[in-house]
Amino acid sequence: MVVFVLKRLGLAVVTIVVVSVIAFLLVHAGTTTPGVIALGMGATPAEIAAYNQKIGWNDPLALQYLAWLGKAVHGDLGVSLTDGRSILNDILTRLPVTGALATGATIVSTVLGVALGVTAAVRRGLADRVVSAFTGIVVAIPAFWLGIVLIFLLAVQTPLLPATGFVPFEISPSGWAASLVLPVLTLGIGGAAFVGRQTRASMIDALSQEHIRTLRATGTPTWRILYVHALRYASLPIVASVALQFIALFGGSVIIETLFAMPGLGLDIQGAVGSSDSPVVQGLVVIATIVVVIVNLVLELVSGILDPKLRTS
Amino acid sequence: MTAPLATPAVVVERREPAARRRAPRLLRSPSGTLGLLWLLLIVLASATARLWLPYPTEKQDLTAVLQTPTAAHWLGTDELGRDLLSRIFAAGAGTLLTTSIAALVAVGVAVPLSLWSAGAGPRVEAVINRVTEIVMSVPGVVVMLAVIGAFGTNLPLVMAVLGFLISAGVYRVLVGQAKSLQANLYVDAARVDGVRPVAVSLRHILPNMLTTILVQFVLIFAIALMIGAGLAFIGFGPPPPEPSWGGLIGSASKHVYDAPWLMVPTGLVLILTVLAINAIADALSVGADAPPAQIALGRAARRRRPIAAVSPAPAGVTGLAVRDLAVGIDGGTTLVSSVSFDAPAGRVLGVVGESGCGKSLTALALMGLLPAGLSTTAGSIHWGGRELATLTEQQLGTIRGHEIGFVGQEPMRSLDPMFTIGYQLAGAVRRLRRVPAATARREAEALLGQVGIADPGRVLRSYPHQISGGMAQRVAIALALAGRPALVIADEPTTALDVTVQAEILSLLRSLVRETGMSLVIVTHDLGVVADICDSVVVMYAGQVVESGTVFDVLDDAQHPYTMALLAADPHAITDGTPASRLASIPGQVPQPKDWPGGCRFAARCEFARAECHAPVELEARSAGSGAVRCVRAVDLHLSATRWTSTGVSR
Repeated sequence: MVVFVLKRLGLAVVTIVVVSVIAFLLVHAGTTTPGVIALGMGATPAEIAAYNQKIGWNDPLALQYLAWLGKAVHGDLGVSLTDGRSILNDILTRLPVTGALATGATIVSTVLGVALGVTAAVRRGLADRVVSAFTGIVVAIPAFWLGIVLIFLLAVQTPLLPATGFVPFEISPSGWAASLVLPVLTLGIGGAAFVGRQTRASMIDALSQEHIRTLRATGTPTWRILYVHALRYASLPIVASVALQFIALFGGSVIIETLFAMPGLGLDIQGAVGSSDSPVVQGLVVIATIVVVIVNLVLELVSGILDPKLRTS
Repeated sequence: MTAPLATPAVVVERREPAARRRAPRLLRSPSGTLGLLWLLLIVLASATARLWLPYPTEKQDLTAVLQTPTAAHWLGTDELGRDLLSRIFAAGAGTLLTTSIAALVAVGVAVPLSLWSAGAGPRVEAVINRVTEIVMSVPGVVVMLAVIGAFGTNLPLVMAVLGFLISAGVYRVLVGQAKSLQANLYVDAARVDGVRPVAVSLRHILPNMLTTILVQFVLIFAIALMIGAGLAFIGFGPPPPEPSWGGLIGSASKHVYDAPWLMVPTGLVLILTVLAINAIADALSVGADAPPAQIALGRAARRRRPIAAVSPAPAGVTGLAVRDLAVGIDGGTTLVSSVSFDAPAGRVLGVVGESGCGKSLTALALMGLLPAGLSTTAGSIHWGGRELATLTEQQLGTIRGHEIGFVGQEPMRSLDPMFTIGYQLAGAVRRLRRVPAATARREAEALLGQVGIADPGRVLRSYPHQISGGMAQRVAIALALAGRPALVIADEPTTALDVTVQAEILSLLRSLVRETGMSLVIVTHDLGVVADICDSVVVMYAGQVVESGTVFDVLDDAQHPYTMALLAADPHAITDGTPASRLASIPGQVPQPKDWPGGCRFAARCEFARAECHAPVELEARSAGSGAVRCVRAVDLHLSATRWTSTGVSR
């Protein structure tokens, strides 16, 4: 078990390093230099060259990467080319926005998805057909389009919620909650369809297992068979789909934060990409990779707890 | 195309694959056909857009901005008065083309990689697996944005990057299939024949993976279409005046207050296209039917079907009395009909027959344990003054485990893999004997001792996968005994076990019957088991009882030709002391339920069959001893002391 954990941790570190190298090389393979971005339109070629010389842009690539890595492991991701703000501070202030969005959407997807999937698998018949049709259609709807529909229905037609914008929790908890409802629903409904389909398939598989017959033969009450034994059997693939969903939601937040004008990491990278602010892009790629890697590690850990075969081997 | 070294047998083997049947399967599904039609429509309309579009893509009409559909603009106009229909279909070709780059790259990387990985041995596979794990942990959208940051919105490049990132997931799907194909005997045969590994992969593995590859291609196309639209939505689509679906929705999102209609047409085209692609993928995937649920669900669980012909309890029978039991597919074929037998208290009844004769279904029907889709359609199951055939699931819950126990065929699969044996056994004891948890634990330990497990403490702490098959069957028997039932039904309890373990389990069952005074119904295809442990026996063939009686009567004086044949074909039962004679066999196979004839169902395989055998045959009392036999020639065969002699060789 210890060897297993160490192996996974090792692979996680390798993943982060590989992605940071790729992000670094992308910046250098790009069509522009930091000097052009930092100094703006009015700068002369000489000024740009001097700037690039100063920040070490002309040093050997390996040296530059190691310099970046050395600072990065100490928490220094550099400063933005466009306004000089500290990238790490910026990320830390934006992380709670994206974190709240992704966490909220994951909770909605999990609760709604598991409820839908279990209902479909257990009740079959009409309920199953309705759930299958609903989830089948929803997985084909892009989140940003669903978001516009929800804005139209819940903010324009019946003005229950703010259409866009974000209120920090410290300023108004209720305003914070209200500003999160639409984006969370937008990402959560799509996620629920995905988790629901996985849950339905896993539950149907669980209910066809022979040990279900043994449970019936020993007079086990039906609710116990369905919600203790079958759901437990189905839990591994369901948890994996939730983890996958969290990662997808983190990526989807780029688009949803733009739609809802939420100052999270997604809006940050969109802006940085638009303005070729390469250090910011590089930092965000690494942060996003770390998030994915952590979620995967948590999934491995939870699977290890849930699956007796993994746990006892 | 036949390479010099291909062996003919191998070539025949792989001619079967999906390539020929793929199109029909797609067209047999209505949603798949609709999906294909829609996709063809979109592709054709987009490809020929230049020829038929009503307006030039960029033609502005500031007198008609943000319109809903009109006769002049069928889908309305945007904020500059441009015709929406024209813009959607002008965007189509570019959108579909760049999207297919992602799907092509993903499949183009994953297919060779998975063939290589499956063919080159575990070391190469391990390395490729690690690399794909890393690629799968790369945050796709963010890296695509970084590529855009470096190279601008070079869409073919961005889509190629997306395809590369997705290829890791595709590889995961394909490598599993490639490995199982590599394990086929005909692939081994080709390798032994000296066919080079690359040729093996291309000739024997790749053709069988085509359907999966096509499904993956189609699914990735849908994903890439959505992601591409998302990027265009936030401004990283084709450079401005050129329209794209995501970009059109992006500008629609700015008019959600004043022109909500604007988002509808483009959104619907995008959604319907993704739906169509998913429907095509669904229709293409080989949809193996899911196995039926082992528990009645939904409406079936609440409604108990009406039973035809419930007969009164027979007088003078203690224990189980089954009369005219029939089992069938809901609303369809009858699988078991008019099965009658008694299992008196303290006795052992054997139900014997070939695979597919309905013996296991009969055993499951007794306790109402039939899987979903099957049910008892007629007859009576009398038990302790009650009619089990008409009880509800809830009422049966008070009998199962308490009064009747069940032991299944596959011990490893009959235990819940997610819980310890202690949890399962002590939980059953606690519920069935109504004792506190600590007592239940002790009694569970005692039960394990009773079924001959030497260290019950360790087994209680174990999960099912940690113990052997024989041990698991002992645990399953202990589970069946947890409620101290008066009857245990065992469905082929020794079939899945090693021969030595079979004998141990049989002797355990025999001693349990002796010690506890319970009765036992044991389903088996092994006459040796019947001779060993049973008091009476029911012989089944093609869903019917063909002969019944005491073990002594039936085995020593078989009157039905099928029973005679089974006895003559049993290598252990050399009854006349002349082992030199050739072992008999029964020609042909048990007919499928849909092929059952109106007359004797065994007639087609019977060496004594005559014309009169093709009329319906009733179960009649045996001419000698107790029990019954279903054969019109039973009496004359018995009088002439005929034996089954067929060896199946000459016929």
